[in-house]
Amino acid sequence: MIKVRNLKKSFGHHEVLKNINVSVQPQEVVVVIGPSGSGKSTFLRCINLLETISDGHVYIEGIDLADKKTDINKVRTEVGMVFQQFNLFPHKTVIENIMLSPMKVRKVAAEQAREKGLALLRKVGLEDKADAYPDSLSGGQKQRVAIARALAMEPKIMLFDEPTSALDPEMVGEVLEVMKQLAKEGMTMVVVTHEMGFAREVGDRVIFMDGGFIVEENVPSELFENPKEERTISFLSKVL
Amino acid sequence: MKSYKILFIVFALVLIVSACGTSKTTSGGGEGSQDKKTLKVVTNAEYAPFEYMDKGNIKGFDLDFIKVVAKEAGYQINVVNTGWDPLFVEIKGKTADFGISAITINDERKQTYDFSTPYFLSTNEILVPDGSTIKGAADLKGKKVAVQNGTTGQEAVETILGKNSPDLKKFESTNLAIMELKGGGVDAVVADNTVVEEYVKNNPNEKVVLIKDDAAFEKEFYGLMFPKGSKLKADFDKAIKTVLENGEYAKIYQQWFKAAPDVSLLSE
Amino acid sequence: MDFRFDLISEYSSFFLKGTMLTIGLSIASILFGTILGLLIGLGKMMKNNFLAQPFAWYIVFFRGTPFLVQILLIHFAVVPLFLGKTNAIVAAILALSFCSAAYIAEIFRAGIQSIDRGQMEAARSLGMNHLQAMRYVILPQAFKRMIPPLGNEFIVLIKDSSLAALIAAPELMYWGRAMQGQYFRVWEPYLTAAVIYLLLTLSLSFLLTKLERRLATG
Repeated sequence: MIKVRNLKKSFGHHEVLKNINVSVQPQEVVVVIGPSGSGKSTFLRCINLLETISDGHVYIEGIDLADKKTDINKVRTEVGMVFQQFNLFPHKTVIENIMLSPMKVRKVAAEQAREKGLALLRKVGLEDKADAYPDSLSGGQKQRVAIARALAMEPKIMLFDEPTSALDPEMVGEVLEVMKQLAKEGMTMVVVTHEMGFAREVGDRVIFMDGGFIVEENVPSELFENPKEERTISFLSKVL
Repeated sequence: MKSYKILFIVFALVLIVSACGTSKTTSGGGEGSQDKKTLKVVTNAEYAPFEYMDKGNIKGFDLDFIKVVAKEAGYQINVVNTGWDPLFVEIKGKTADFGISAITINDERKQTYDFSTPYFLSTNEILVPDGSTIKGAADLKGKKVAVQNGTTGQEAVETILGKNSPDLKKFESTNLAIMELKGGGVDAVVADNTVVEEYVKNNPNEKVVLIKDDAAFEKEFYGLMFPKGSKLKADFDKAIKTVLENGEYAKIYQQWFKAAPDVSLLSE
Repeated sequence: MDFRFDLISEYSSFFLKGTMLTIGLSIASILFGTILGLLIGLGKMMKNNFLAQPFAWYIVFFRGTPFLVQILLIHFAVVPLFLGKTNAIVAAILALSFCSAAYIAEIFRAGIQSIDRGQMEAARSLGMNHLQAMRYVILPQAFKRMIPPLGNEFIVLIKDSSLAALIAAPELMYWGRAMQGQYFRVWEPYLTAAVIYLLLTLSLSFLLTKLERRLATG
């Protein structure tokens, strides 16, 4: 479903990603962990081309994002993204946030978009907040709306960029719960997170990144119980 | 909005009072004091050849003329270049004793100021593009005409087109009025002969024609402008008469305009 | 106290006509200036430096030269080039629009760049193209922040329109000057004009405050 081949990314002279190779299968949940500055967020942002690709290839269902002829807008409708800072549109209500893209990009009728939006809000437990403005919501509620907004485009893949890092501790649970539910329903997910519990419980595979490389990847139980690389051991000893 | 309106009126009144107030406090100086002290004379030195700045000094016909007249009247004078609008504020507020600036005498202005006896007859000429159908002042009717705001040219054209006619365009200078003519925005420019003749002389390649029509234009005169009720007026009227009659006027006129003045027209 | 209200009332019909033209010039120039300013602001923000340069020059020129010179140039040189003769009203609208567009472009740029980068990323990640993201997400938010500086610019524009008197566009200040030229009285025409300008600018601020309040959400 996602195939990353020899991906390299530099900001100026600073090489952030050095030759990344990953494949993600349909319905697989891949969790990316690593110290800050390891390149894990940049890697995620390359998957929907929020960062341009310096070298190598990223294929989404066989479509090469590095190819200039690729219609990136079309690809992005299939790849939802959830940000650390939520990035809800503050000038629109919760339901308008969710309806906007389906209506403008997918040309869905307002009535249908609203129905679909309300269903998604019900799913994340925020149906009563449909007409509220984002500023009146708590962090956890905002992130759940952001997830509903991404799902409204009916993506085949969901990317999560440290979705709980900006949240107060007591709100982390409600967001992870929604993500768990999503994983259970068979969504293909790539999650960058510091939540080791989530990685262990929900992840099909965990990737440990450091210094722009994938240092080690394995099923969660193996990686957490039996890390092979020195850097993995050192990182896990600090976070666990 | 109602309270706003009252606020504006109060605001405007405060401005007026403060503007007039200055006149009350400083008026003691100029007028009325008989000690023959130096008089402050204001001008707008932007109207060659009557008054203009020559490397920082005010020069012109008006300057030479007023020097002779003041001497005749027995006053010391100090001519100050204030610019156009402030000139009137100074005279009306009596912070200056009088003004000389090629100022046209008319009835509306007499309501606010006193004018000396006329010292200059202004002749207006019509400037038109080559091949224009305008041959005299009467042809200006129904045509678009540019003038300099507040000049005798404006007075002259308004007697033909009507006061504030939409066909009359008033510019800040005769130069701009002539540019409007060249730009095709008007059919003619009416201005002081001295000014337009100077323009034609300096721009021999311009395809323009000057038309004289002394019979059609009403005669316009320049005068010294005093605050209403100024006691200086009588002294200066007498001095002007003397200077006109004793030939000194003709000398200055000859020097600036290379022609002899018809002094008889001024004493009408 | 010597203030001739009778002269003002004598000129009242001219002041009224002049005010109408001042309002007309201002509205037309605000409209054209805003649209042009938006285009130039967007142009200057283009990533391609080569294409963005002319827009930057435009701003440098119109912000860096006196409006007086601009209006004379446009009246005497530019308009005759296209219309075959001068036209003070067209020239005034063009000069005011061109000049204010330079300032408005910078207001737009500042407004757009003040919006968090995450907003654009979120919109693009939802499949919107750049134009859609601008139109539905960035501009509505930026516009709200632009209202106070735009209000400033519009007020400056209304007052700058008085320079159209120079090219004999019969607007408010033109009639003030005409009255001054006729009676040689300074305060009656200019204070009257000032009060009318104050009324116009206050009405505009009032409308903008209302708009700002209406756009305030959440």
